This record gives sequence, C-alpha cells and structure tokens, in this order.
Amino acid sequence: MKRILLLRGAELVVFAFLATIPLLVVNPYALGLLTLLAIYGILLIGLDVTVGYLGQVNLAHVAFLGLGAYAAGLVVTKLGLGMVPALLAATLVGLVLGGLLALPALRLEGPQFALATLSFAALSTTALNELEALTGGAQGLSLSRPPLFGHALTPPLFYWLCMVLLAVVWMLMRNLLASQWGRAFEALRDSPIATDAMGVGTYKHKVAAFALGSSLGGLAGGLYAFNFQYLQPQSFTYDLMIILLLGVVLGGRKSLWGAFVGATVIVLLPNLLSNRLLFQIFSGLGFAGALAAGVQGLVKKTTRPFQALAPVVAMGLLVVGGLFVENTEDWRKAIFALMLFSVVVGLPEGIMGFLALFLAKLFRVPHAPLPEPADLDTMLPIRPADGSALLVLADLKRYFGGVKAVDGLSMTVRAGTIHGLIGPNGSGKSTVVNVISGLYTPTAGTMQLRGATLPIGSLYSVAQAGVARTFQNLQLFGELTALENVLVALKGVYRNPLPMVLLGLARREERTAQAQALALLELIGLREQALVKAKDLTYGAQRFLEIARALARKPDLLILDEPAAGLAHPDVLQQIEFIQRIHQRGITIILIEHHMDVVSELCDTVTVLDGGRIIAEGTPDEVKRHPKVVEAYLGQPPQPELPGGAEPLPA
Amino acid sequence: MNAQIIGQMAVSGALMGLVYALIAYGFQLTFATSKSINFGQGELVMISAFFSLTLTNLGFPYWAMVPGGLLFGALMGLVVERAGVRLALEQKSEGWILLSIIIGLFFFSAAENIWGRDDRPFPTPISADPIHILGVDVTRLELSVAVGVFAIMGLIELFKRRTLLGKAFEAVSADRDAAELMGISSTRTVMLSYGLSGSVAALAGILVSPITTVGPTMASALILKAFSVAVVAGLDSGFGVVLVGMFLGALESLASFYLGSGWREAPGLILLILALALRPNGVFGKATIRKV
Repeated sequence: MKRILLLRGAELVVFAFLATIPLLVVNPYALGLLTLLAIYGILLIGLDVTVGYLGQVNLAHVAFLGLGAYAAGLVVTKLGLGMVPALLAATLVGLVLGGLLALPALRLEGPQFALATLSFAALSTTALNELEALTGGAQGLSLSRPPLFGHALTPPLFYWLCMVLLAVVWMLMRNLLASQWGRAFEALRDSPIATDAMGVGTYKHKVAAFALGSSLGGLAGGLYAFNFQYLQPQSFTYDLMIILLLGVVLGGRKSLWGAFVGATVIVLLPNLLSNRLLFQIFSGLGFAGALAAGVQGLVKKTTRPFQALAPVVAMGLLVVGGLFVENTEDWRKAIFALMLFSVVVGLPEGIMGFLALFLAKLFRVPHAPLPEPADLDTMLPIRPADGSALLVLADLKRYFGGVKAVDGLSMTVRAGTIHGLIGPNGSGKSTVVNVISGLYTPTAGTMQLRGATLPIGSLYSVAQAGVARTFQNLQLFGELTALENVLVALKGVYRNPLPMVLLGLARREERTAQAQALALLELIGLREQALVKAKDLTYGAQRFLEIARALARKPDLLILDEPAAGLAHPDVLQQIEFIQRIHQRGITIILIEHHMDVVSELCDTVTVLDGGRIIAEGTPDEVKRHPKVVEAYLGQPPQPELPGGAEPLPA
Repeated sequence: MNAQIIGQMAVSGALMGLVYALIAYGFQLTFATSKSINFGQGELVMISAFFSLTLTNLGFPYWAMVPGGLLFGALMGLVVERAGVRLALEQKSEGWILLSIIIGLFFFSAAENIWGRDDRPFPTPISADPIHILGVDVTRLELSVAVGVFAIMGLIELFKRRTLLGKAFEAVSADRDAAELMGISSTRTVMLSYGLSGSVAALAGILVSPITTVGPTMASALILKAFSVAVVAGLDSGFGVVLVGMFLGALESLASFYLGSGWREAPGLILLILALALRPNGVFGKATIRKV
C-alpha cells in the first residue's frame, strides 16, 4: 500500500503543480514551453510503446505526428468542424495508418522493421509535399484554433486541455502497460516464438502495440497543429525523429516518467543550445557524470572499458567543442549525436532507469505483497488417466529440401501417460516436436488431438488447441520476472475486455492470476524467487520455470523438449520429481530426452527414432534391449566370427 | 518517339540505379559477417565525396584522388564499426541500429560545418558529352559509373574467392562460431568488412558526385533507395542488387517523368514495403528455417 501511495502521490503532486502554473506565472513564453511539454509527453509515451516495450527501432513515429497534425488541420479548415472531431480524427489517423503499417511490418524484426518504418516516414513526407491541392504542399497550411464547447481557447486554457489529455493518456497507459497486454508486449520483445507458443498471439499484440503508439502520435499531432496553427511537411522529418528517440532513450525506456523527463529535455534543448553559458554548464556536468560513472565502472569492473570510456570521450568532445565553436546552434545535430551516443552507450536505462535504482535504495519501497497461492486442485483439476488415444500421428513427414528429417512417423500418445521420444542426434526428435507444436508445417501426414484435427503450421493455434511445450534452448522472457513469465501464459483468467483494462477495472482478475501463477511456481519450487527476473535465475531454475510457464496453459498435452539438458545431477533428480508431480495431475506428457536414466524412471512408453523413422516402441526396458536400438546408439555389434574377437567398439 | 523517350529514360535511370546497387552491396558486405548494416552509410558516401573534393581542390590528379577517397571511406567505416557496432554485437543486441544512425548524424553535422551547407560541383576529367549507342544517348560520365561499379564489385568478389583473407571473410559469413574455432578472428573480419564497405561507399560518392553535385544532403535520397534495393534483392545476393538496382533506377526515372519529380522516391519506398511484407528475405534471398 505504501508503494502505491508513494507512486500515485508523486504523480498527483507533479500534475497538480503543472496545473497551477498558469495561475502563478503569466509569462507567455514559459507557458508555450509547458504546452509543448504536454504535447511531447503524449508523443513520447506513444513512441515508448514500440521502442521500449516492443524493443524495436521505430522511425515512423514522426510521420504519425505529421499525419495527425494534418488530419486535425484539414478537419478544421476543409470540413469546418470543431476541436473534438479534429482531435478524434488525428488519433484515428494514427491508429488506422499505424495498424496498416504494422500489418506488413509484422513479420519483421530489427533492421528490417527500422527500414520499413523509415520508408513509411519518407513516403508520408513525400505525400504531404505532393498532395498540394489538399495540404498546400511546401507552402504550408494555416489554421486557427477552434473553440472547445463554445469557449475560445486562450493559451492557459489550451495548456490545460493539453495537460488534461496528458494525464488521461498517462492513466490509461499505466493501466494497460501493467496489465496482461503490457506483459505480452514485453514477452514479444524477448521471444516472439515463445509468445506464440504460449498462445498469446504475436500478431494481435504487435499490431495493437504499434497502432496504439501511433494513435498517441496522431493525437499529439492534433494538439501540435492547434498549438502552432501552421503546418509544413518539412517540420516532420528525420531530424525531429532523432530528437524524439533521444527523448525516449535519455528519459528511460519502458517508463511513463521516462517519457516525461525525455519530453522536458526535448523542450529545453533549443534554449540549452542558444545560451552559451547554460550549454557549458550542462556539457560540463555531463562530462563529470560520464567520468564519475566511467571510473566507477572500471574500478568495480562492472562495465567494459569501451562502455566506460566512450561516453567520457563523447562528452569531452562536447565540452572542448563548446569552447571553440562560435555558434553552437550550427552544430546542433552533432551535439544531439554526442549526447545520444553517450546515453545509449553509458546509460542504456536512461535517466529514469538510473533514478529508479537510486530512489529504490533511498525509500526502500517493498513490492506490493503477493496473494496466497491458489489451490492447485481447483485451478488444475486432476484429470482421469483413462489411457484413451490423446494424440494420434499418422504417416507424418517433414522434409527440408532433400533431407528427410521425419519420414513417415505414426505414433499414438495415450492420455495420462508419459511418452518418451528418444533417438540419437539428428534422428528427428526435435523436428517431430516442432511439427506437432506448429513451428513447422508437415510435408505430409495427419495429426489428431482427441479425435479433432490439430491445426498445422501455427504455434499460436496449436497452443490454443491445448498443447503446451518447453524449449530445448531456453526461450524465457528474460526481462520479465519469474511470476510474470507464468502470468503471460496463464490461460482462462483474463476475461475483461480492453476498455475495462484501460480504466483500471481489471485489478481483481490480476490478483486471481497472481495467485494461480504462484501456485504453479510453488509446484516447481520457485515461489521464493517469484520476483526475480528470469535472466537472473540459475540455469536449473530457468529450466524449471519453462515447465511452470507451459503448465500455465493448463494443457491437455505437455511437450518437454530435453528438460534435463545441461542440468547438474541434483537438478536432474529435482526435475524428475517435478515431472512426476505434473504427471500425477493427469497431464499427458511427451518427453524428449537424452538421459537414459530419466527416460527409464519416468516413461510409460518409449518411441525410438532413427533417421526420421521409428525403429522401436515399447516400455523403457523393452526398447533398451531392442537390437536396433542398441545398434543405433552403439553401432554394429562386433561380428563373432571375426578372428581375434575383442575389437573395441567405435566411439 | 515516345518509345525512344521511354528507352532513354530507362537507360539513364538504370545507370543511376547502379549507384544504388553499389551502396546496397556495401550493406551486404557487413551483413554477411556481422548481420548488421550501417544505417549511416549515406553519410559515409557524402563525407567521402567531400573529402575527395578537397583532395581534388588541393591539386591531386584523378588517379591519386580516387584511392585517397577510398582509403578515407575505409577509415570512416572502421570508426563506425569501433564506435557503433562492436559493443552491440558483443552484447548480442540491436543497439547498432541506433548507434550507427547517431554516428551518421555526427558525420552529417561535421560535414555541414567543415564544408558548408551548399551543393558544390565536383570536377572530373571525364567528359559529359553524350555518345549515341543503339538509339539512346549516354554520357561518358554515366558509363564511368557502370565501369566503376562493376570494377570494384568484381575486385571484391575476386578477393573473397582467391585470397586467404577473403576466404576467412567467407568462412565468418558462413558460420561465425565455426570460423572462430578454426582460429579466424571474427572481430577482425567484421572490421575488414566495415572497411571494405566504407570504401565501397566512398567510391559511390566519387562516381555519383560529378552527376549530382556534392552537398550534405546528397545522400539522403540515395540511401533510402539503396536500402530498398538491398532489402528487395535480399541481403546476400550481389547479383540481385545489380538487377534490382537497375530496375529501380529505371522505374523511378519513369515515375518522375509521368507523375512529376516529387514522386521520384515513391516507387522505391512502395517496392520496399511490399517486398518486406511479401518476401522478407528478398527476391533473391534465401529463406531461413527457424530453429529453437
């Protein structure tokens, strides 16, 4: 409770202070800057959704600012409508165009995504310039600020409007980003494959995140239009985009406060550059800060030499340059570049990331207490193990070019059993799992789950159908805590529609979800580490967490892909016990494993693959003695009639 | 008559397109070794062109200016690699996207202040008089672009196939970890690729400047099209970039003729977004199999 009070209190104080400023100060210049602060605040919160939460370099945000501005301007000048429709139109333009851009950009990651957004931005500048009949082209578009509900908007009133909108956006986004949606955005960044495999749907969330961020860009654009009352295509170019990125990165990603701090920096930048003394003070401070952090990092060996030294050099250039350059305004791009460089290299978490650590030490705010774990029997009822056919694979094939990775596999997995799938390296085990779970499309063959055809070629659809899996090479959401990893996958709890989530009315289901996730963490012995980031867990704990996360799908069929790979012996024993616990709940398991002792200990039935085909099937003891299995694992037995007899087996 | 204009437009467009192809080839070089590209490559083109212009103004003859410019480009490429790419690659993050944009911005600002904001002519001994070939007029200058592009691409491809260092380059491209295990330093190979890529960018600047003039913004349009070419062709096909570059050059030359010069950039951008949506690995690229 104390934590909530502190956080909400800080928000309330800042907004109350900002709201009273026009009553105290009558300086129109200062008011202009504050209005801009509110507008950029909304803009950066939108940009942070893609850059921070989705973790993609988005170079199109400035285009949505521009398109939103023109949409609002045209609604007022051409259609003669008022403020509210204009702002709605601006938001809608961002939402729709953002969604449209996200659709093709959907499959893209990293550089390709950045390129697609860059092209979109260039294309929209071209369009604004060339559609002269509509936009006035390079001549620009003049408009006047329409009244709101009959009141003429004087500068203080317009400022309040912007502030109110910022506060509303702030609240809605806070609720959304703390919900299952925000977690899904982050999960998407850390592992798109696992996000799909947990039935969350990368498709829906990526488009939603991008469209949402862009709609805020559009809204900010609408306000921008009414603030300046004059629009030109060349206001919305690459240069401004760089400054916006500077704002988000410097302020701190994944943080509303970060966006706010970033907006403050952006608004103050022009003043910083035009006032020489101010510039020297700030560059000096930056240099001192970089030096202090660099030396500390080097002494404590927490950073690499480059990471410690590069910001010092960059800020040093800034200080020295500031002494020699006649007009700092001429060098503004180089100054942005040096600042941004120092921040990206030396302070990747931004100002707020740094401050958050500092404040957390200062106030020692405890995390909000977690609920008691839910009752496992109600959330994951024990299923009857009737031995009926759960999964039936018939003549399954998957070829890669000429390589027949799986070549005509027929197999039945019975409900309530642990079905082992073993074979030498390259025998096709992983391919089978990837085909069942939807990562690969089968070349031929059929798959049925409880008599219904299993969807093919879509991790998401297969997960929805009731199959959950773990990954041989861990695919955890590293930046999320253990608890959040399980929450992302949790099935059957989140029912509230988006508007309820936005309004913060979904708290109760969040508590239920936490209780259920904790119960699963308790099952695999990680309850005490619920709030540790997945990437900071030990290797063994990460393997266990993968299983808890898959269990959160409450699956009919659980596929464990080498759950003991790389584990130390005590952890292997632990893992066996966890798998037995899960088995006792009646969940059917397919187990791919190399450790023969694990297989013998756990499996009811074992299928042995070699060269993409089944060479043996039966109980663990039967297959261990099967001559073909021995041959596949150990090579040809020595020919008894050979003279000399005892030649060593090939390794 | 009309057919002749179209032919003329297409040919000079395609020759311009070879410059896009050359810059795109520079992306491929670094992508092969490090899966990264320099988002500030356009600034490398521009700043190397300015440097070469200074060399010319200092009295260096053309044959001495060109290697000087290439060397400068290589050096700048190494700066980008050291300051912007290496750390991000070590951390296996995509921080290089932002960092290479930032370094490009710095180069841009430096060029603005050192050489001025105005566009300047780039003197060259190659004549701009048209020659009549197969019914279309081509200038020697335009032909020099084609010669330069094919010469450097040929040389680099030969280097990759015939020299030990080049084979190391190919080895790192094929499998970084395996190459490391065979004693090839992947860091040095990535440096080499950034140096080569910088030289390629410098040559693009030297070849195109006499036609377009030199200025801080000379490469901003160029680079977008080079991106389009690289992505549409795929980031691993040298043959593909030449074809796509010439096609795009011809297409936009026709687009600006029929739609107006403001729409010149549009076909490339639309082509890029379409290609990304339909074939993310490029028309000539290889599809990758997702592994988990």
